[in-house]
Amino acid sequence: MKDGLNRWADPPLLVLASLAEEPKHGYAITQDVADTMGVRLSAGTLYAVISRLESRGLIEPLELDDRRRPYRLTAAGARELAEQSERMRQVASVAQQRLRVNYGWAGA
Amino acid sequence: MSAQPPRQAGGAQVLARAALALYPPTWRARYGDEVRALLQDSGAGARAAASLAWHAVPAWACPPRHLYDRPGRMRASLAAVGMAWALLAGLAAVFVQLAQAQGQVQDLTLAQHRVIQWSYWAFDSCLIVSVLAVAVGGLPLWLTMLRRARRRGEVASLLAPAVVPVAYLMVTAAVVALVRRPGHPVVPWQASSVVDLANGGVGPRWFLTLVVLGFAAALVSAAGPGLALRGLRLHGPAVVRAARAAFLAAVTMGLAGVTSMVAAVGLYLWAPAYAGYHVAWPLAVYLPAVLLASAVAVVSAARGIRASSPPAVA
Repeated sequence: MKDGLNRWADPPLLVLASLAEEPKHGYAITQDVADTMGVRLSAGTLYAVISRLESRGLIEPLELDDRRRPYRLTAAGARELAEQSERMRQVASVAQQRLRVNYGWAGA
Repeated sequence: MSAQPPRQAGGAQVLARAALALYPPTWRARYGDEVRALLQDSGAGARAAASLAWHAVPAWACPPRHLYDRPGRMRASLAAVGMAWALLAGLAAVFVQLAQAQGQVQDLTLAQHRVIQWSYWAFDSCLIVSVLAVAVGGLPLWLTMLRRARRRGEVASLLAPAVVPVAYLMVTAAVVALVRRPGHPVVPWQASSVVDLANGGVGPRWFLTLVVLGFAAALVSAAGPGLALRGLRLHGPAVVRAARAAFLAAVTMGLAGVTSMVAAVGLYLWAPAYAGYHVAWPLAVYLPAVLLASAVAVVSAARGIRASSPPAVA
């Protein structure tokens, strides 16, 4: 298993999750990720992720809009995001249940 | 899509834009405008500059597949291997002059030590294979470059860098011829008190000067074809063959460098009768130079040969 403890904040997943809403360009992605997921992606990280995701066919570029190129999720990207989300959901579910039973955690 | 954000400006933006220059050309061509737009939109600061600079490293080391320019990678690799190979060839020439060519001196010393002799033989073998690889792989590429340059009317600029090594060889030949002429002293710089380092009677200062000029000439002669190769944007079988030959040439030249290091250290340790081999500073310069140039040659050649293989079908 290659996931680290911060897998939930893995930048590629954050970008995929952002693009699952609608096509966005770079700045819109960083804003959306910061507003909805609480993570600030720097310019270098964002474009390293975009080039990797594009290379793997998980996102695709659209026509330039005044130097800003929007990207959209591909079908393969949606499948990848769904698989990762399901795994994260399972982990979150198990963790929350055990925290409730063993630590009296009442939930956030 | 999102609304337009507020603009900010500042010196950090300039820094962040400068960090973009650290990326490979293909990466900049594909994402440069977008990143500049992002920097403009987000009011980039020092964090953006640092982040961009940091991520430039993997952009070079592992370029995304869709940006992988195979012919460009091979051309860049050939240019880098050419420079490193020229440097190693220069170091090999110095080694030959100061060690192997000192036949009379070796008779008086312990250079016949088995390790040194084996190193000499291995050095010679590797050197021969390397030169042959350069000739076999480089000649077709050179002819292709010449044809392309002729079509573009750029033959003069292609051949211009060759003037430097030719001039160097002529000057060196003239100096050696003067020094070897009978009589004493023949030329003002042939001081009788200096050690015969160069086997031709040239004093150490002149020998060192010729060596430094030789390295400069070798690097210029290697840089010329490298730049021309990039400018002509060649691709095809000649470039692929050259990239494969460059790998063999780089590996064998690197091995020659390593065997010369063994011999040089051996002479330092086991040649007590000849004081010239017990000076530590030449070794302190020679060994790191050989290691560095070999590493550059082999790594660049490996990247070139990787680019020369057709991409795997997914």
